[in-house]
Amino acid sequence: MKMSETIDLSGFSMVMCGVLLLVPVLVASYLKLGITRNLLISTVRMAVQLVLIGFFLEFLFKLNNAFVNIAWFLVMLFAAMLSVINNSGLKIKSFVFPVFLSLLLANLFVVLYFNQFIVRLNFIFDARYMIAIGGMVLGNSLRSNVVGLGDFYKALNKDEQLYFYKLSLGASRYEAILPFAKRSFTSALNPTIATMATMGIVSLPGMMTGQILGGSVPLVAIKYQIAIMIAILASTVLSIALSILFTVGYSFHKNGVLKKEIFKNS
Amino acid sequence: MFEFQHVTKQFSEKFVLKDFSFKIAEGDKVNIAGRSGIGKTTLFRLLLGFEQPDSGTICYKNKPLTDANVWEVRRNTAYVSQDLNIGRGKVQTFFDETMSYKANLHHKHATGKELLQHLDYFELPETILAKNIEELSGGEKQRIAIVNSLILKRNIFLLDEVTSALDPSLKAKVLDFFLKNENFTVLYISHDSYLPEKTVVRTLKLDENE
Repeated sequence: MKMSETIDLSGFSMVMCGVLLLVPVLVASYLKLGITRNLLISTVRMAVQLVLIGFFLEFLFKLNNAFVNIAWFLVMLFAAMLSVINNSGLKIKSFVFPVFLSLLLANLFVVLYFNQFIVRLNFIFDARYMIAIGGMVLGNSLRSNVVGLGDFYKALNKDEQLYFYKLSLGASRYEAILPFAKRSFTSALNPTIATMATMGIVSLPGMMTGQILGGSVPLVAIKYQIAIMIAILASTVLSIALSILFTVGYSFHKNGVLKKEIFKNS
Repeated sequence: MFEFQHVTKQFSEKFVLKDFSFKIAEGDKVNIAGRSGIGKTTLFRLLLGFEQPDSGTICYKNKPLTDANVWEVRRNTAYVSQDLNIGRGKVQTFFDETMSYKANLHHKHATGKELLQHLDYFELPETILAKNIEELSGGEKQRIAIVNSLILKRNIFLLDEVTSALDPSLKAKVLDFFLKNENFTVLYISHDSYLPEKTVVRTLKLDENE
């Protein structure tokens, strides 16, 4: 199904890439945006990180050992968990276990399902799929969880009176938090749904572009893109639901009152 | 019914209640008075377990209030908050949500006909059920919250400034409704001096607790 091999980028090509970088640098300097330093640092950081990860992935793909692949997937999950909690305005130590568990269950299930039933691999822990597909679903879960989990606890804290009012009407903790959870769920899912609705017209997704540049026929790339978008949606929905479900056990006193110490600025 | 035994509660450096004792019997009508910020709402929050006393004991039916029996208090009292944020969506959905709580399914609660009677008594048209809560005025929200507390058919009421956005005739109507009913135990915070005839209301002045 390959149309042609990918054109490798030579040293000269990378230098030309650096020349292109002059555009944002010059614009930022001319407009005195004060971001030139950060822009350069971020670019260098990105390049170094990607080169290192490139070597590491080559090693991983050559080794292609199930245990090593799972171990790396766990490292990715751990980093995602830290990022979710940190960016949700919550205290890390309160939520390490429940958020890690929700990301693990949701993403591992989706990746293995994808490998087993969609790509139908003989070796479902294959590094090329497990790490690449895992990275894509996990990255999206991460973004949605930051919105979902963060919004949920911020809204509960901000509208505490409303939450108390529901409790005073006889609602259980679960019944009282349900409307808050539903709202956070919707705001977390909306960007994914909007992206799906405009995909192909407004943007050509990264994965599809990558496959086409890598030599795949567009129709094959499109089939993969459809599959990955559904996988992203599944892992996102599952991980938000689980992370809210698992964290509430750690976030409330027995009398139903939200613990203030779960917030970073408490 | 409720008893505060030497309760002290402070926020940061400020004492809201200091060695406070008070007893509320079944059928009592108690007006909680005092300047703003003195701790009137805190009293309700303590009874409902949303705040914990720093020292002292609060009893419900002669048993100290704990994390376990506070849920029973919430199932048996009807609290109307001064906060007008009662949620979003249609008014009918708001009532339906209250009645859908598991704790309320087992209790005898008002029928649709009774809901309409309550709406009518508090001068709210039936058409309000189809409106969005966000569209309602402060006074309408207050009355919707009052009706919501009534459809639960509970006998203990904690009313926190529930007439603040109502005109004088409606204020009297609301207070008549709660204070004239012998079966109701009512603790209410209000700055109104109106008292229905032939009713005995105890006044708890929190300023004197300072």
